Amino acid sequence: MTSLLSRPASLAASIAMRPLHQAKSSKIKVSARPSMVFKRPELGNLGLRSFSSKETVTITYIDASGDEHPVQAEVGKHLLDVAHDNNIELEGACGGELACSTCHLVFDQDVYDTLPPKSDEEEDMLDLAFELTETSRLGCQIRVTKKFDGIKIRIPDDGY
Amino acid sequence: FGVVTGIDVDIIERLPTPYGLVRYGVAPDHPEVKNVENDFAALFENQNDASSVSYYGNVSVGKDISLSKLQSLYDVVILAYGCQAACKRLGIPGEDSLEGVLRAREFVAWYNGHPEYGHIGSIVQKCLWNTSGDDERELDSSAISPARVVVIGQGNVALDCARILAKGKPGLIDTDTPSQVLDILKGGVSHVSVVGRRGHIQGAFTIKELRELTKLKDEGNNATFIVRREELERGMTDSSKEELKGAAGRPKTRIDKLLQDSSKLYHSSDEDSKKQVELRFLMSPVSLVPKDSNSDRVGNVICERTKLEGEAFNQKAVGTGETESFPADLVLVSIGYKGMPLEGMEESQMFDQSKGVVVNEHGKVFGADNLFVTGWIKRGPTGIIGTNIMDSKDTANSIMSFLDLKNNNAQPQSSSSEDESESLFGRNGLEEFLKSNNVEFVNWEQYLRIESSEKEPSRLRSGDHPREKFLSVEDMLIAAKG
Repeated sequence: MTSLLSRPASLAASIAMRPLHQAKSSKIKVSARPSMVFKRPELGNLGLRSFSSKETVTITYIDASGDEHPVQAEVGKHLLDVAHDNNIELEGACGGELACSTCHLVFDQDVYDTLPPKSDEEEDMLDLAFELTETSRLGCQIRVTKKFDGIKIRIPDDGY
Repeated sequence: FGVVTGIDVDIIERLPTPYGLVRYGVAPDHPEVKNVENDFAALFENQNDASSVSYYGNVSVGKDISLSKLQSLYDVVILAYGCQAACKRLGIPGEDSLEGVLRAREFVAWYNGHPEYGHIGSIVQKCLWNTSGDDERELDSSAISPARVVVIGQGNVALDCARILAKGKPGLIDTDTPSQVLDILKGGVSHVSVVGRRGHIQGAFTIKELRELTKLKDEGNNATFIVRREELERGMTDSSKEELKGAAGRPKTRIDKLLQDSSKLYHSSDEDSKKQVELRFLMSPVSLVPKDSNSDRVGNVICERTKLEGEAFNQKAVGTGETESFPADLVLVSIGYKGMPLEGMEESQMFDQSKGVVVNEHGKVFGADNLFVTGWIKRGPTGIIGTNIMDSKDTANSIMSFLDLKNNNAQPQSSSSEDESESLFGRNGLEEFLKSNNVEFVNWEQYLRIESSEKEPSRLRSGDHPREKFLSVEDMLIAAKG
């Protein structure tokens, strides 16, 4: 357990040390969701990831401000977990159990068309998403495939 | 001068346990919705020297410490106490005088084990089993109550009440519903009508909760879901059709389809179901009347058929004069929570009585120096957990602007006054005040003891049972300090 705790602790410190004048010009950001570290035991290997033989592809998250964040995404992982692995700000309030719409992601049409179909439960949660689009999905339901290499995914504004 | 290098946040909660509606509002068969607790718990795990969070449970603002005292101790005070304490009234005869009429929020608080609502159990017991509980005929724990329950209102709380009553002990056995509650619910009730005065397109429920009702039978709850085609047709006015249009109409369009499909599915084999849950639309309760056999107890809900009139998104339910009488052994009024002012706030301009919210702009409270507000007590009692995420960012931004302004205007402090005032400020000041007033507060570590005690294997019904909640503040405090 201690190896899981050491990463969030240092992130919390970096938020605190940021002087106010920086915080003023940006929206309130909460970096990494420490809770996800506790709920995803596989993230305990974070420090050793560069040595693992897991296959990755490059995907780019575009945040609500329009900034691009290319990351190495492990094939087979859900996009919500990949975001958290890489300190991308994507809320996942219900922990990926289809009880919220906070991991809302928007895809390009050509990528969207290749994604596996939505369950009723995912559709039900998407109904509640802010500014739902024709190519919206929930990040906790989409697993990374090899074909995702080079794609860009938009994290929509959450209304604030 | 004027640079904030960290923020210390103290969370003050009236009960020993935190989480509010996540613990006492969210239905026990929705454990995934409670996962947000993990995010909050993580805040307490990840402390550092520059910023920290502390918890003070069992402290009642207004009783143990005044709001103005808090405002003097802290740079900023944020009110986030929600709307649990009160609810809207129907304003119809019998609502306050008849036994067996409960507010849905009381019923929900009871089935979630809220320490202040244990007394609701004996009321439910009497309504469902027609006994006072003292003359215990040994009914099987899967016995289905012949009681007919009428839930007035069609938000998610109303649907939760119907679902919990339909599931009963067998359907809830592996949830954190308190055992005492399951012993009263037993096998559930034979009939629940959820009544709304407007049409199905205007209902406040969301599709997830509706879908759960349609799946009750398939999931082995012996309960059929019924909706009347005729009422769906009546509700599909031209204005309602307008409300379905476009991307904004997507959620309602899907609800309409699910209801239409459900109305086709009811057939004679469903007669085998021992329990029924029905949604009735365009029915406005006009009075609650007593039983013939006992004039103190509710016997029927008299409803008037309504029709929708008006423009899209502004349709009103207008009475037609036609009435229907719903037999009712238990009535749950579920028409909305309501915010209340904190003790001491009643006379001020701070509270808007008609809306039940603290008057604010982007979370900053008018007429108060360092007071902010967030959540339901800021916006009113609507929206889901996710809505509060956006809301809190709005308030947080107002706070940062306020702190910025305060720091920019601050005069450099003389060193002599600094040392003295620091010891009486913030967390230190709060603890000193509480201790000197003998307030037995519960800190985070102690709350964790309550949590782990509730999960003690010896308390649990089975390996799948998540926890057996403490039902009194006394028991919580014993576990906290032990």
